[in-house]
Amino acid sequence: MMPRASLIRSLSFVALLLFATAPLLLLIVTSLARGWFYPAAVPETIDTGAWRELFTDPARRDALVNSLTLAVCTAITATMLALPLGRSAAFSTRGVRRAVALLAFAAVALPPVALGIGLQLTVLTLGLGGTLFGVFLAHLIPTLGYLTLVFLGVFTRWDRRLEESAATLGASEGARWRRVLLPLLRRPIADALALGFLVSWAQVALTLLVGGGAVRTLPLDVLAMLQAGQDQRAAVGALALAIPALLVLAATRSAARNTAAVSA
Amino acid sequence: MSATLDVRDLCVLFEGPPQPSPIDGSVRYFVVDAGTQSIPEVAPGHRIGLPGVTFTVNAGACLAVLGTSGAGKSSLLRTLAGLQPQGRGSISVNGRDVSALRPEQRSVVYLHQEPVLFPHLSVLENVAFPLTVRGTSRREAERRGFEMLVRLGVGPVAGNAATALSGGQRHRVALARALCADPAVLLLDEPLASLDPAVRRDVRAALLEARAMSGAATILVTHDLDDAMAVATHISAIGPFGDLSVPASPADLLREPPTLAVAQLLGVFAEVPGVVERTDDGASRFRWAGGAIKAAGVAPGSAIACVRSHDVDVSAAGSAEAPVLTVTGRRDAVHEVMLDVSDPSGRLVTMRVPGTTAARVGDRVQITLRHARIYSTH
Repeated sequence: MMPRASLIRSLSFVALLLFATAPLLLLIVTSLARGWFYPAAVPETIDTGAWRELFTDPARRDALVNSLTLAVCTAITATMLALPLGRSAAFSTRGVRRAVALLAFAAVALPPVALGIGLQLTVLTLGLGGTLFGVFLAHLIPTLGYLTLVFLGVFTRWDRRLEESAATLGASEGARWRRVLLPLLRRPIADALALGFLVSWAQVALTLLVGGGAVRTLPLDVLAMLQAGQDQRAAVGALALAIPALLVLAATRSAARNTAAVSA
Repeated sequence: MSATLDVRDLCVLFEGPPQPSPIDGSVRYFVVDAGTQSIPEVAPGHRIGLPGVTFTVNAGACLAVLGTSGAGKSSLLRTLAGLQPQGRGSISVNGRDVSALRPEQRSVVYLHQEPVLFPHLSVLENVAFPLTVRGTSRREAERRGFEMLVRLGVGPVAGNAATALSGGQRHRVALARALCADPAVLLLDEPLASLDPAVRRDVRAALLEARAMSGAATILVTHDLDDAMAVATHISAIGPFGDLSVPASPADLLREPPTLAVAQLLGVFAEVPGVVERTDDGASRFRWAGGAIKAAGVAPGSAIACVRSHDVDVSAAGSAEAPVLTVTGRRDAVHEVMLDVSDPSGRLVTMRVPGTTAARVGDRVQITLRHARIYSTH
């Protein structure tokens, strides 16, 4: 007979597995089901048309391309800004470090609607309301907050003696970045790019407020279809949204693992 | 590369807020604002540590700088390497003032206490690093790096990951990498601290081999006299006021420490309290509980004689013309014995005596000092 503790553990695991996978499975089935209505237990017709439409329908394709463009640009730009920012803050005085951490945390913690309204006013003033660039700037704010916190953590535990050794061995600042810093930061940079991509990829409120409906992205498309009762199309859009997240999770499942240059 | 390091009136700064000494809780800074009694910042986050350091290290020579924890030894090296800002003064390498140059432009290599190897590179790539960053082709850099590894006895680990080395191997690889940079000045920051005896012997040998191979002016900072004696040609000590004693050969320094503080730092002397008196013939002599000894050039008054164990003779009472002392305590060390003795009035003195001394607690003895360095304390 199975011991009680072991039984509870097994049941918990099964429950967790169902909790995590059931919505996804349901989405997959819905994305392939045309006209699946209550009380039918299974779809009557299997149809891949909604999937084809994702790539062939110009409006949906534009939304997908906009989402990808925004996520890639935001991830790269935020990583390029957050790395030096987190580094210089980590090596600064405690006061500066705390101030940067507080600002970065505020960008993350502020409700997107509140942040979006503030950004909307700014972006409109700049004449960028309803443009892809304006939305990109808006996405950059929370993403930069997340990534600054990531790099602040990385560099707080960074072994600065590596750079000092490289410097006294004759490496210029550029050589130190190329030969020591960047190779050792490969994993944190990959993690930051992935995180930055996901933060932008899933944005709804900022896109809606700053884009003003003129900039269509995949999450907005999914919401619109849900409101219109187009469940199959919405499921396809939702799965398209989930796929990059799952890929990124798989690629960075050891994201928390430290690089050799950072002590545990 | 052979070159001379010339340091003139260098003001070494301490980084961070004032730190109390782990030993006595005192804050070791030498410039205090008279009005506010605070320690002023002379650069953001930096305060004056060693106010004026002057010394020269010739090519091929090795200067050991002795100092207690927190005395400023590492700060001195980091300043010389350009890794932290300096106050006034100059640092010259072969006559060229490098004070304003960046670390990579100084030809000064700094080795941390724990060898810092690049973990993403192999041992060979680590050693070739200083050559490749200067534009040497990878093939040539690795050829020369391998030669250096072989000379330092770590050729077989050339293909290893830098993270897969023993403690001694890490030190040898770090030294090989430093020598590949062909530095004019090599700075060693307590490389022998916190090593077990076997690794310590190995690293000492490696340091001597490295010194023999390189024409660099070398500075070793340590708090251990044995390490300094084993590796250095000259020794200097950081005194209680942040002053650096004039470099002297190990033998000269041990025979005639320039100040009582330096003698105390060396840690090999018994400190015998007494008084310097003028004799009828105008000479001076130091009188202590166990007798008297000449004290030429020392002003009359209270004084302390610093005596090494091999300059002390202990004999049974009655065999010499000296006051009789009673042994009240005995502690055996590796090469010597710490002997507590008291005179009839109860004055207690702790002597360092040769390890062969047979005196036991309760014995009555007479002690003769053959040589002592006497410091006026009044």
